[in-house]
Amino acid sequence: MKLNTRINGRDLCLEIKPNATLLETLRQAGFKSVKYGCGEGMCGACAVLIDGKPRTSCITLAGTVEGTEIITVEGMGNPDKPHALQQAFVDAGATQCGYCNPGSLIAAKALLDSNPNPTAEDVKDALDGNLCRCSGYVKRVEAVLSAAGSVTKQKKSTRGKK
Amino acid sequence: MLKKLTRFYHPKTIEEACQFLGNGEGKTAVIAGGTSAALRADSSLEALVDISHISELDYINKDAAFYHIGACTRVQDIYKSPDLKGPAGKLLQTAAGKIGSTLLRNAITAGGNLAGLFPWSDLPVAYMALDAEVVCRRGRPKRTVPVMSLIETRAPQFLAANEIIAEIIVPAYGPGTGTAFAKLAKTANDYAMISLAVRLTLKEGAVNQARIAVNAITAQPVRCLEAEKLLEGKVLTEELIAEAADKATDSINIRKDIRASEEYRREVFAVMVRRALTEAFENANRKGGQQ
Repeated sequence: MKLNTRINGRDLCLEIKPNATLLETLRQAGFKSVKYGCGEGMCGACAVLIDGKPRTSCITLAGTVEGTEIITVEGMGNPDKPHALQQAFVDAGATQCGYCNPGSLIAAKALLDSNPNPTAEDVKDALDGNLCRCSGYVKRVEAVLSAAGSVTKQKKSTRGKK
Repeated sequence: MLKKLTRFYHPKTIEEACQFLGNGEGKTAVIAGGTSAALRADSSLEALVDISHISELDYINKDAAFYHIGACTRVQDIYKSPDLKGPAGKLLQTAAGKIGSTLLRNAITAGGNLAGLFPWSDLPVAYMALDAEVVCRRGRPKRTVPVMSLIETRAPQFLAANEIIAEIIVPAYGPGTGTAFAKLAKTANDYAMISLAVRLTLKEGAVNQARIAVNAITAQPVRCLEAEKLLEGKVLTEELIAEAADKATDSINIRKDIRASEEYRREVFAVMVRRALTEAFENANRKGGQQ
């Protein structure tokens, strides 16, 4: 079966099995940031943006994302040019083993895309589906809040230049 | 897991979706959010009709007296909607917000919570407490049915092969009505052990309509009719609320599972009903109505 999607800004046509999950499809296509955690939608390690909304790719059938736009962490930034959120996670130490980070970053990006000035409560609410079993739940909230600050600042300074 | 599945259909309209479902070629099912493990484990399905990209199924509208919610509206959109207000809107929002996590709420739909009905589904009790109605479409023809009849018969038996849930209609209610929702779960994301929705509509100080709908503690969503009847026509007092809570507890068949014993659930349930009734009563008496 053919699957047409736009992944991280590139139009792709992938050959998939009809019963394939989005998680296995993405990993086979080389997007290894997407992690297999619990496999039943409870831990959030596999989260990706589907048309801007963060969802668990492990229980999403690939056939249901036909014609959608998908963003994984590869589409957010890279070590040379990290996304503000990625840098903030590093600076705040919101990472230990790192396995949950891709999912948390995706959920955090979805939050900042819709709400550039979140409160700590908003962040907790938006990351409620991303379990972290080593670093904890305090530093990542600090990270998202500080990234929100720098994103807003960046936008303000570019506006100033114009 | 879906071993026989060979194809997906991606209709853009309700009529197209119904055509795909009714074309009689092999075993076909509807998929929207796709979070139902039972659906994904089905080895007999040959085709899936993906209705999650039908824009005419995704909306929250309000007219003079009703909210109209498209069946494919994500429960996250219900949770975050600025348009849902008052006793009905707040009840829907609270119930939707208690479902799973953000990542799951972006998949789970308003209609899917009725179609794939599980003991732990949180929205059905809210629909029941609000006397919601469901619009079912078979292509162009449609029928509007009370949500209770769909729940009692269960969607797979209730709906024809080429029929889908298209809309949920919820009366908005106004001042004089109060609602409350409560859920008991081990963690914020876990399946409900008790899911409870209450509505009280007052008239001249007395209870005109009482609704107590529960799920999770029971095998399927039910209303506590005897407790409701006890409240209706009376002026609420603390004693009456306590009596109603006991009656509600006695009237249900309590389910047990690995999460909690029957005895534990029974104890907690009576307290939850009492508190929910008290909260709904306070909301009903609020000046300017429940916001």
